[in-house]
Amino acid sequence: MNAVLFLFFQRMRLPLITLITAYAVATVGFTLIPGVDDQGEPWRMSVFEAFYVVSYTGSTIGFGEVPYEFSQAQRLWTIASIYLTVFAWLFGIGSIIALLQDPTCRQVIERARLQRGVRRINEPFYIVCGYGDAGALLTGTLSSRHQRVVVIDSDRQRIDRLTVEDLGASVPAFCMDAREPAHLIEAGLRSRWCAGVLAVTGSDQTNLKIAITSKLLNHKAAVYARADRRATADNMRSFGTDHVLEPGVEFCRRLRLALTAADAFRLHHWLSSGPHASLPGTQMPPRGRWILCGYNPLGQALHQTLESLGVDVTVIDSGTEKENNLLPPGSVLGRGTEAPTLEEAGIRSAAAILALTRDDADNLSILVTARELNPKLFLAARENTGANHLLYEAAELDFIGRPSLVVAGSILSQISSPLFQTFIDLIEAEENEVSARLLQRLGHTTDEGPPQVRTVRISHRRSPAVSRALDHGETVLLEALCRDPRHRQALLPVVPLLLQRGDESWLCPEPDTALESGDRILFAGPPSAGPQLDKLLFMDRALRYVRTGEDHPEGWLWRRYRDHQNSSRSRVQ
Amino acid sequence: MNLGKVVFGFFVLLALTLNFGFFIGDIDNPDHHNVYELFAALVVGLIATVMKLGERSQIGAVLLASSLVVDLHLIAAAVIWVVAVHVTEVGLTPAVMASIVSLSGGALLANLLSVVLLTMETSSINR
Repeated sequence: MNAVLFLFFQRMRLPLITLITAYAVATVGFTLIPGVDDQGEPWRMSVFEAFYVVSYTGSTIGFGEVPYEFSQAQRLWTIASIYLTVFAWLFGIGSIIALLQDPTCRQVIERARLQRGVRRINEPFYIVCGYGDAGALLTGTLSSRHQRVVVIDSDRQRIDRLTVEDLGASVPAFCMDAREPAHLIEAGLRSRWCAGVLAVTGSDQTNLKIAITSKLLNHKAAVYARADRRATADNMRSFGTDHVLEPGVEFCRRLRLALTAADAFRLHHWLSSGPHASLPGTQMPPRGRWILCGYNPLGQALHQTLESLGVDVTVIDSGTEKENNLLPPGSVLGRGTEAPTLEEAGIRSAAAILALTRDDADNLSILVTARELNPKLFLAARENTGANHLLYEAAELDFIGRPSLVVAGSILSQISSPLFQTFIDLIEAEENEVSARLLQRLGHTTDEGPPQVRTVRISHRRSPAVSRALDHGETVLLEALCRDPRHRQALLPVVPLLLQRGDESWLCPEPDTALESGDRILFAGPPSAGPQLDKLLFMDRALRYVRTGEDHPEGWLWRRYRDHQNSSRSRVQ
Repeated sequence: MNLGKVVFGFFVLLALTLNFGFFIGDIDNPDHHNVYELFAALVVGLIATVMKLGERSQIGAVLLASSLVVDLHLIAAAVIWVVAVHVTEVGLTPAVMASIVSLSGGALLANLLSVVLLTMETSSINR
């Protein structure tokens, strides 16, 4: 605000001084020019009368010649003062308009408005750096979950796109370079409500800068950063970035799961691919020979994973990038978009093809050509820009890898529950059978969209009702938290995935597990189950009802009435 | 030499001198206090205020505040003059004149403070 005011006054100095001077000169002039009063006597205006005349003349109101008819000399001066004051006004008003039109000034006003917006947030909020595909998905989902979000992007067009989007809550969107620490502070990095910084720009260097800035300036905020290169990821971890998201590593992980434990892959992919994810089909990639187009860092990582799983891989790469001298033996040089190259790589005997180039048109062309040559192929591609998603959908591929979706999905799962990563690690170590059973149970609970995960903590602050019951020496079973507080016979559509007590974690805890203070439970269920679960955690009455079936009124008056009834009943007996 | 500083110092000082010129003389004698001098003091005071607007320094803020005090005093004095002469038509009685001049005396103090502050700032820059 101050900046705007200062800018205004600095620019308005000259017009204001001009205006004051013009009025002063005109006023003094009127007091000096001789006139004639109604009696014909010589008369001169007082300062007050002169100022009165100048005031209505200058503002172009014009009451005429008061208090007496002007002499010719006075009329001459009136002409002079009209031009003087009117032009002074025009100059002043023109300056104000020019100032408001000035890009610098508009930027300052806009920034001040946004900063006010950020300062006014009095609940935890996240700073999303980079409003690309991942940033847009994160912003939209967090807003729909009633989380406040602040967005920074250096691209004006993206910010404009965000401004016209209906997100439910107001999202302050700064158009500035997130690499500057001052800009991050402006976006609220130092605010005590800043819960986390999500660095999801397309550039590793920018994400790195954001991560280190956030870590240094606000050690309480969690930092989630995307890193496409191994070196960047290691660098980020070295200074304690809370969550480093490597799309490449994540793809390798999912590919390995898909090839070894199909249901674990389906569960993982379903739960951590954003709010619009659908459960992947049961058709899993075959274990025959694979063809991999594009030997870029992602290609290399996937190649390594496949080799380690004992899968035979043929690489096709144009060899234009500098990695070409590292191409594995037996590779085919070429783009892969033409039939001869694909034939050379043995497309007809291959089981699957991965199109991983950085060009969406190339990827689609590779896959369509490949399908023509061998209709039974398993087709998978990397989608580079979200704008081309429709094309990939239309191509009817078996698997579409979307780096931005993987990043956003992982961040969302981790934001909604810090236990999620532990759960995924455990699930991967388990037999496929466990995931299959979980999938079956979760499939029952959710009609649309993937289930949402949340952590419940047994503590006085997070679940007072459960905590109080435990303090009274009562036993609360895990099963109680899965019952509907409206009809205790019915079950809430939530599935406890994990129970953590101290350093120990149990996957799929039994319903008759007795809860203890300090337990942390990971639940999965539709968003609509959240409020019901909250009732059980916060309301003694609801919890007692699902545990015992007794529904006692809670209010003071009702309690008195009940006590009275009980005592009179015992007296009769 | 900075022309901006010269102009700025000129107006601050001129506001003080004009104010003093109006203030000096018997407090209740209208002959000792010229209306043009009050008018000039007011106009110069307003210009000095505008020049101080938009100063970001701490001393600039105090200068602006003292300038606003000057304007307030002188406008009050001018309003009393107008009311006495043109509205109630009691004329410039010694009582009216005394209140006008004492108001301008208040403005004089604030103007003096402005000049002192300006001098202090200037000397601190030189050191």
